[in-house]
Order: sequence, then structure tokens, then C-alpha cells
Amino acid sequence: MIVPVNVVLALSAVLFGIGAFGFLARRNIILMLISVEVMLNAVNVSLAGFSRHLGDLRGQVLALFVIAVAAAEVGVGLGLVIALNRNKPGAAVGDLTKLKW
Amino acid sequence: MLSRIYPGSDYFLLAAIFYYMAAASVASALLAVTRRNPVHSMLWVLALFLHVAGIFLLLGAEFLAAVQVIVYAGAILMFYLFVVMLFDLPAEEVRPRFGNHWPFAAAVGLGFACLAWIARVGAGAPSAGTPVAVERVPQGNLRAIGTALFGPFVLPFEIASLILLAAIIGAVLLARRRAA
Repeated sequence: MIVPVNVVLALSAVLFGIGAFGFLARRNIILMLISVEVMLNAVNVSLAGFSRHLGDLRGQVLALFVIAVAAAEVGVGLGLVIALNRNKPGAAVGDLTKLKW
Repeated sequence: MLSRIYPGSDYFLLAAIFYYMAAASVASALLAVTRRNPVHSMLWVLALFLHVAGIFLLLGAEFLAAVQVIVYAGAILMFYLFVVMLFDLPAEEVRPRFGNHWPFAAAVGLGFACLAWIARVGAGAPSAGTPVAVERVPQGNLRAIGTALFGPFVLPFEIASLILLAAIIGAVLLARRRAA
């Protein structure tokens, strides 16, 4: 292994934290979804690092499934965003108050 | 892995490339979640995905790197960019980027990072169950991944295809214009 597995895991943790911050702090629904992608990528880095460290291919196979689920999530999520945009133009989550009482 | 493909290549050079990729992906992730213009954010996320693909290559996951570029950067990010460009978002330039609670969000992000760092204590332990061995073949790990996907992982593989089918139908139903 080129670098210690701890370095890979630290990178993954930092990327995941940035993604979590973006998801919670941004007020634009598309950028919230892209922050989810950043988090999924962080998990994939962690899985690939473990796969390399343990000499076990299951980590890479799991990362492939994560990518497949991310593709499905993007399809449904952006479909929802388009449907929302039809009812209420704009992408700000602060404006979506119809379900609030 | 790379040092076998390029036998003369230096160990320290590969480590330096890894640290560059790590620093660049953290920087582009930070820029992606903080830019005001959504299109700029998307382009920084593209930089993040490409650097993560480089990290996959350095970790010996060639197929994962290819999938990262083709599916993530090629398909998913283009989908995001299409949606961003379809929307008219003039208000986005003048609105505040973050909600008023952004220090709380930063604390949660930092907390998650620390939690993931603390949770790594078992990282040196051997893997449980029967490992799918990485075949050390010169032509890369594509054959081993294919054997694993259609061997022990054939049921999750089929379920993933079902999830993608459900997502296609769901996306069409959600985004379709109502007839009435």
C-alpha cells in the first residue's frame, strides 16, 4: 500500500464531514443533493481503502453497489426537484412550506 | 499496483501523488459546497470526482476508477448540470448561500468527521467471513470483480438492477407533466 490506511480513512472522514456540512447548511435543494454525492464519494474512498488494505475485493464490489444506488437516487431526487419547480419556481428549500402547519 | 505497471517508478512519487490527490479533493469539495453560483459548484464537484478517481487508481481499484469517471462524472454530474441549467435561478446569486444555522451545520460536519475518525480503531483487524481474494494478475482487477459480481454477489447485483428500474419508472412518473 502506498500510504497507510489511516490516511485514506482520514481523507474519507474529512470529505464526509464537508458533505454533511454542505447538506445541512446550503439552502438550494440541488446543492443539497450534490452534497449527498460528496458524502457517497467519501464512503467509496473508505471502501476502496479497506479493500486495498485487507486484500479483499468485497470493498470494491460494495462501492460499485453504492454507485448504482447513487445513480438511482439522482434519478428520483432530480425528478422530485423538477416536479417541485413546476409548482413553485426556484430551488430554495426555505420556500417549500406547504406541508407545514 | 502502479509500481508493478511502471517498475521503475518511485514509491515516494506515488505517495506524493496520493497526497496531492487528497489535498485537491478536499479543496474542491470545500469549494463545491461554498460557491454561490450552482454551475461553479458543479464544476468543482467534477474536479472532486476526477481526483477521487485518481485515488481509486492509486488504491489499485482500476475498474472503480473507470466507473467513477464514466458514471459519476459522465452521467450523474451531467444530469445535475442539465437540471441546474434548465432552471432559471436568478435569485440564487443574491440570496444568502447558507441558512442562519450554518455554525450548527459546521459543528455537525466536524462531529461526523471526528466520529468517522474515532470509528477506525478496528481498521487493522483481518476481515470477517471469507474474503474474495484480489487476483494479482497483470491485466488488472476487472476479471476478479466480474467473477465476484456474478458469483457470490449475484443476488445483490440483480437487486441493484431492480432498484435502477424502479428509479427510471419513478423519475418518469415524477417529472411527467400532468395531462389535465
